[in-house]
Amino acid sequence: MATSSSPSIAIPGQLLGPASKYQPGPGTHIHESNLYSSLLGVVHINQPAKAPGPAKRLNKILPVVPTELPTITVSRSGVSEKREALPEVGNTVLCRVIRITPRQAVVAILVCGDTVLEAEWQGLIRSQDVRATEKDKVKVYESFRPGDIVRAEVISLGDQANYYLSTARNELGVIMATSEAGNTMYPVSWKEYKDPETGFSEPRKVAKPN
Amino acid sequence: MEVDQQHPLVLPGDTIDPSLIPTHKKQPLRLGPGLRHIPPNAIIPTVAGQLIADHKKNSMWVEYNGGRYIPSPNDLVIGQIVRSAADLYYVNLTPYTSSATLPQLAFEGATKKTRPILAPGALIYARVTLANRHMDAELECVSGSTGKAEGLGPLTGGMAFDVSLGLARRLLMARSREEGGVEVLELLGGEGLAFETAVGRNGRVWVGSESTKTVIAVGRALRETDEGDLGVEQQRKLVKRLIREMR
Repeated sequence: MATSSSPSIAIPGQLLGPASKYQPGPGTHIHESNLYSSLLGVVHINQPAKAPGPAKRLNKILPVVPTELPTITVSRSGVSEKREALPEVGNTVLCRVIRITPRQAVVAILVCGDTVLEAEWQGLIRSQDVRATEKDKVKVYESFRPGDIVRAEVISLGDQANYYLSTARNELGVIMATSEAGNTMYPVSWKEYKDPETGFSEPRKVAKPN
Repeated sequence: MEVDQQHPLVLPGDTIDPSLIPTHKKQPLRLGPGLRHIPPNAIIPTVAGQLIADHKKNSMWVEYNGGRYIPSPNDLVIGQIVRSAADLYYVNLTPYTSSATLPQLAFEGATKKTRPILAPGALIYARVTLANRHMDAELECVSGSTGKAEGLGPLTGGMAFDVSLGLARRLLMARSREEGGVEVLELLGGEGLAFETAVGRNGRVWVGSESTKTVIAVGRALRETDEGDLGVEQQRKLVKRLIREMR
């Protein structure tokens, strides 16, 4: 049989090739050892870097490095390279605090890594994930307030409604805060922000500036 | 207190005569409810009421009779249990607002094994521990430092009456007759009625007694004092009339 050339445009459910010839990338799935497209879009095949052949040395024979299969991906046309970056576990994100309760803070994730997200995803910072030390003595009201901008790390993709985030490192925490009087505050220590105009300080879990 | 030069009526946004602001050599000026400091040196009332200044303690505040109770820490309040969840009771302090939370362990002698059993609808006398505008209020029925109830806890029997916030505040004053102008409860007790009361800052007064007639009489006295804005003399007449009607 002639080598089946993979199509240039795929519709959901279209056969792309056998799993022995290609590796699945974003936009594809495997069913019964065959790769099928999951999206309507353009098919890209990424050839992997050519692995160097086994080096012949005089005293040692190295095993053959298995060549990597090319990766086949399907992406929606128009947003071909600019895919929406979804927060993954371990990413550092910037979020805004929406609501606080005694047990957790509800935040809206705005920026993932360096990309501003198109949609706002909801995240949760539980009180035991605010700090690394003395986790049971955390008071959410003294760590975050609604409206603060927080740098956090994604610890879990969570359930349908929320990502789970953590600020339990020195460089994570509140990076921008507004005082009760309405002025932007400056950080004073790891747990205080100060309003320069009124002189009052407010407690927050402050991120260490780099 | 009489409205005069020293204690004028103020409206939100009024400027205050600087001569009314107390000065003290050592203590800084403390602003109570109803006043706000706008830096550098403006003091503006935010509610309509009577401006009161205490020169000994170097503090000033506005006395006002508002309609809505806003919880603040260390207030004593009478709440009604709405429902119980794991570890918490949801308590209603004011109608049509979100409930305050009361941990089930915040009672005298409560451990994880022995918790108090309070049914929805029960009344409790509690203290506000946490109150800010971002979260629901939190209560406790035990003194935080000593671990004893000190009068807090469930209120059994009797009935709770709604009063205005101003009357509740005057009833809770240490010297309610001189400073608050409210003597009706003492007068009723002096006439031989046996009852006990609990006053909540959120505008509720609980009256308990063995005799239902007493409870109703006390409730009527409170309501008529409140609605008629009675002075001390008028309260005496009211009490005499109620006692006569009871017999």
